[in-house]
Amino acid sequence: MSITAAGITKRFGSFTALDDVDLEIPDGQFVALLGPSGSGKTTLLRIIAGLEFADSGSIHFDGQDISKRTARERRVGFVFQHYALFRHMTVFENIAFGLRVRPRNVRAGEAQIRSKVHDLLGLIQLENQAGRYPSQLSGGQRQRVALARALAVEPSVLLLDEPFGALDAKVRQELRRWLRQLHDEVHITSVFVTHDQEEALEVADRVAVMNEGKIVQIGTPDDVYDKPATSFVYNFLGNVNLFHGRVDEGTTYIHPNETDHVVFVRPHLLEIAREAAGPNSFRATVKHINAAGPLVKVEAVTEWGAPVNVETTQERFRDLSLVKGDEIYINPRDVAVFKEK
Amino acid sequence: MSAAEFAGTRSTVEPAFVRRLLIAIAVVFLFLFLFLPLAVVFGTALSQGIGMFFNTFTDAGTQSSIWLTLLAALVAVPWNTVFGLAAAWAIGKFEFFGKSALITLIDLPFSVSPVVAGLVYVLLFGAQGYFGPWLQRHNIHIIFAVPGIVLATIFVTFPFVARELLPMMQAQGNDEEEAALTLGANGWQTFLKVTLPNVKWALLYGIILCNARAMGEFGAVQVVSGRIEGLTNTMPLQIELLYSDYRFVAAYTVATLLAMLALVTLVVKSIVEWRTGERQA
Repeated sequence: MSITAAGITKRFGSFTALDDVDLEIPDGQFVALLGPSGSGKTTLLRIIAGLEFADSGSIHFDGQDISKRTARERRVGFVFQHYALFRHMTVFENIAFGLRVRPRNVRAGEAQIRSKVHDLLGLIQLENQAGRYPSQLSGGQRQRVALARALAVEPSVLLLDEPFGALDAKVRQELRRWLRQLHDEVHITSVFVTHDQEEALEVADRVAVMNEGKIVQIGTPDDVYDKPATSFVYNFLGNVNLFHGRVDEGTTYIHPNETDHVVFVRPHLLEIAREAAGPNSFRATVKHINAAGPLVKVEAVTEWGAPVNVETTQERFRDLSLVKGDEIYINPRDVAVFKEK
Repeated sequence: MSAAEFAGTRSTVEPAFVRRLLIAIAVVFLFLFLFLPLAVVFGTALSQGIGMFFNTFTDAGTQSSIWLTLLAALVAVPWNTVFGLAAAWAIGKFEFFGKSALITLIDLPFSVSPVVAGLVYVLLFGAQGYFGPWLQRHNIHIIFAVPGIVLATIFVTFPFVARELLPMMQAQGNDEEEAALTLGANGWQTFLKVTLPNVKWALLYGIILCNARAMGEFGAVQVVSGRIEGLTNTMPLQIELLYSDYRFVAAYTVATLLAMLALVTLVVKSIVEWRTGERQA
């Protein structure tokens, strides 16, 4: 089912959480709402779910205006950051809840409910935990139960609010791969909220980057990462070094005294060399080296005293035989320039 | 590691004599102020034999006081259970104007002397009170009658359930209710299947405390009762009446009933606490 949000505005007192937001999600797509806290992403998700109502604007499912409908009538699956499992019910009863509260005339029989819940338990690989209580499960298991519970009612859309936010790094990664796989099998229109850019880029078909109550860019992960629309997007998606500079006939010149342009360079697009190469090369002193992991992370200070982060390959690092305190040249390979506001 | 070894390694453990002293103080205190009075109550009640003990309950005035106390509790406890649930739900789960004022109002019966509470009802519904003339014209009796006693009991016991539930409902937040809503449950189903089970032990605890106070209330009830034996005397008032009539055995015999209520309350409370602890473990 496609989702359309048109002109959504929401205020909490004097704070504007959402400012005239438009969002279009085609049927079957997996979209991430990415932004820092306070950017309005969770509010937008809750308005789509019907847990919150917009001050103005409308929400459409498959072209039908459902702005006035309650969460109960919208048939959405919602997964909460802190799971929100029913603590006094077993895993089985949690998943069965949505099926059991249906009006009597459309409620499935007990045998049907059982088989459906067992199918879902299989899907989340928790067949043996059916009789346990949420407090007896790990965080990752709880979130899988929450997902199964949301899927049990066969929702028209699946909405996830920072679903992996409360989990540790390893479980997080496993779960998001699993969620992506699940989406490839079920093809349910899904929206998930996250402040973790890596997560958004890895899982989603499209990423909507939000800031201060607005969607600043929406596109495929490649698009937003490679062609950021604003300095905010560039800054928010991944580590970045910030310089000042000017643009002359299409060429960017980095210079600390310029003020009309901001120049961003990702750490892996800076090259360390023993000699200058090109007009933008600058001198720097190595302050710290972290060689653990696939890339070597070098912290240096530029000749004008600003810190700069560089990532280089292990191979290049060995060739340079870099040590702390070395005087080096840094050559930007690719830069992103935005006019200073 | 054995317990002794473990205790020896801890730097926070007090010397043995201090521990024994503290335990001894606690035990002596409990004995003097709780067990001894309780023993005296039962001892005096049974001092003239079991026959006299049961004989007390054949007295019409005493019987009527027991029934009146049960009636007052029977009205006040369900009423305050419903009120407490509604108030705790509203305060714990929603934001609205005047919320802190409502919390303060709920606590009022705790901070106001029961005698004052009783006097307020006399001022409102008594013969010289605001509604007195109107009530008289319509032949409705509140003060010095059963409705006054029930009203006073409701007033002094209404914080108990709300106070027990509030912290729990606030701590639990709205997540589970919202989840139930998105899963298609209506308001009533959400309340019965999600909200209520989550607070059931706190609710039971609140009801127990509310009931104990409803049956034991003296001050507020005394002011509005008029103390007509056989008509408007509750158990605590009857005990006092018997006592001042020098009918000590009868007084203590009725007192055993209230003491028994206290013991039952304690037992149920322990069970509830044990169950709650087990569920959270």
